[in-house]
Amino acid sequence: MKKWWMIVILAACVTVFGHPHAGAQQGAKLDHIRKSGKITVGTSAEYAPYEFHKKINGKDQIVGFDINIAKEIAKDLGVELVIRDMEFGNLLTELKTGGVDFVIAGMTPDEERRKSVDFSNIYYEAKQAVFVRADDQGKFKTMKDLEGKTLGVQIGTTQETIAKAVPNAKIRALGRTTELVLELKSKKVDALIVELPVAQGYVRNNPDLALSAIQPQSEAGGSAVAVNKGETSLLSAIQTTLDRLTAEGKIDQWVAEMTELAESPDTGTGQAARPAYNWNFTFLKEYGSYFWTGIRLTLEVSAVAVIGGFIFGTLISLLRLSSLWLVQFIGSAYVEIIRGTPMLVQLLLFYYGLPLFAGLDIGLFGAACLTLIVNSSAYIAEIMRAGIQGVDRGQMEAARSLGMPRGMALRLIILPQAFKTVLPALGNEFVVVVKESSILSVIGFGEIIYQANAIRAATYQPLEPLLVAAAIYFVLTFTLSKLLGLGERRLRVSD
Amino acid sequence: MIKVRSLHKTFGKTEVLKGIDADIAKGEVVVVIGPSGSGKSTFLRCLNLLETPTSGTIEFEGRPITGRGVDIDAVRQNMGMVFQQFHLFPHKTVLENITIAPVRVRNTPREEATRTAMELLRRVGLGDKRDAYPIRLSGGQKQRVAIARALAMRPHVMLFDEPTSALDPEMVGEVLDVMKSLARDGMTMVIVTHEMGFAREVGDRLLFVDNGQIVEQGAPREVFEAPQHPRTREFLSKVL
Repeated sequence: MKKWWMIVILAACVTVFGHPHAGAQQGAKLDHIRKSGKITVGTSAEYAPYEFHKKINGKDQIVGFDINIAKEIAKDLGVELVIRDMEFGNLLTELKTGGVDFVIAGMTPDEERRKSVDFSNIYYEAKQAVFVRADDQGKFKTMKDLEGKTLGVQIGTTQETIAKAVPNAKIRALGRTTELVLELKSKKVDALIVELPVAQGYVRNNPDLALSAIQPQSEAGGSAVAVNKGETSLLSAIQTTLDRLTAEGKIDQWVAEMTELAESPDTGTGQAARPAYNWNFTFLKEYGSYFWTGIRLTLEVSAVAVIGGFIFGTLISLLRLSSLWLVQFIGSAYVEIIRGTPMLVQLLLFYYGLPLFAGLDIGLFGAACLTLIVNSSAYIAEIMRAGIQGVDRGQMEAARSLGMPRGMALRLIILPQAFKTVLPALGNEFVVVVKESSILSVIGFGEIIYQANAIRAATYQPLEPLLVAAAIYFVLTFTLSKLLGLGERRLRVSD
Repeated sequence: MIKVRSLHKTFGKTEVLKGIDADIAKGEVVVVIGPSGSGKSTFLRCLNLLETPTSGTIEFEGRPITGRGVDIDAVRQNMGMVFQQFHLFPHKTVLENITIAPVRVRNTPREEATRTAMELLRRVGLGDKRDAYPIRLSGGQKQRVAIARALAMRPHVMLFDEPTSALDPEMVGEVLDVMKSLARDGMTMVIVTHEMGFAREVGDRLLFVDNGQIVEQGAPREVFEAPQHPRTREFLSKVL
């Protein structure tokens, strides 16, 4: 008698605790969802293009192709979708405790997870693609063809990992796919590695680009939707929606759209609720060398720019002071055009435009230097013009009366005096050049801001690397102006 | 040595020189006087083409220097000029001011140029100022350096454009003394000045310029004592 009761209790225990939601509750979840009119999805919105935060019209929203799928699931069930955003590691716990009804978060159904939850079929497998200029399509057949080539990838992505594994390949890691495509077109890189739907989008819209036959393998597995163990009716409803979307080709389309959205700037400037920010500068230990490289390149390019800009700017100022109408006009036109157009445009024209339109590729460092030289020479020309005009006319007359030709008089008598009076202004220009060189990060020139961005991508810390960069700029420019002050005092001995 | 024929110069609509004829012989000291705005400085500045004549011709040592195809820099190497405002090069030391043209223009070896410069500096009484910058010199010292600078090119003629007008009175003498000694050594000189005593003492010939023309000329003593032209008389009565 006693033994019999024991067995009943044990059996009940096994039933209740061993399969907590199974058997008797079959279908109850779906009914509950339909009755309450809403379904709750769990996701972790920091994984573009799957799911991510985006400020649209000033409002922070969770978007991504997973989110689109979740919306379709809710729509097919005829209920409202509620999104709960949480840490990836908490998703399955929330699912099991009923906090969310299903999870969609680019989650790979591995063995470990299958023990605790049920998965739909894989709805999206991240396939990598290599695309190239249409003319080169025949040259790229296997991964081996990538060896020794220059490969373009987005910073901090799976694709970058793949590219790094290619022997002897040079890697161009930039922030945006649009820039990578420009690099490809202007023959600065030989091939781009991106997710397949993204590649397809670009190839569709650019007849001069083509997909290669190469199919890189990545570690990442496919993604599936998770529901609690035993929720077969809910799972099959979800599967129906997934099958429909796959058949309609919606998922690939969304992947491409969301990749683009993820790369586009936020719209609107409304203030979202602000979470407490935890400052963290520990990345300096690991990534400090990035900044050293950045400082070296910034100083190199600025020095070349200032010296080149000074020489070139002085020549332009002499054009402007010419007595010949046409020469004067050329000098003035140069100054006005360069000062009146954005340096960003000048940079992109020198970097992408010269190879495309003039067949002249001066390389990354060349384009960087040329842009800064051209830009600052326009400003220096004006500074020097004022300086030259400020030198007493009698100086030129005295020099000429000694038999000096005009050029020699300018060089030996006028310019040194002009230089001395404009030295403070030139110093300012130097400081401006050092700071403005940050714009070179746009074409992937590895100066300070580029390095800061690389660290931001690698550490997911949006602000700290920028603060460090700003501090570095300040130290550089402050030191520079002090040094220039010293130089000024030394030149002043003749006053 | 210098031959000027019907020299005209117009600035905009103002005719400053209205046909000047003049001859300056080798070794002659010609003093040019006249009221302010009479065109005497412009006349002098036309001689080494700091002003381009509107019309007329200038010959220097038998060769025309007006007109096309003249190497004006070569001509100027032989014509020294001293300005009212000195125009020393402020970023160069006294020595460098004097050597720069011989070294750069005449390709004189630096050592030789330095030796010549030191001789000239001693001659104008400034041997101890070789390493000073112009800013440290008085007006009279600056003008003496300027004279040394012009002499360093070994010119055949020296042009002086009111060399003492910007000086404090007590410094006029030291500059005039240098010029007197130059004249004694036989240098050909054309001097625009307001120093009438100096003109009478040093000048071989006096030109009185008024309203863009040479109104009267002759030996200084004669012109001063017996001016022929009424405008000369009027001018001299004011300045003497």
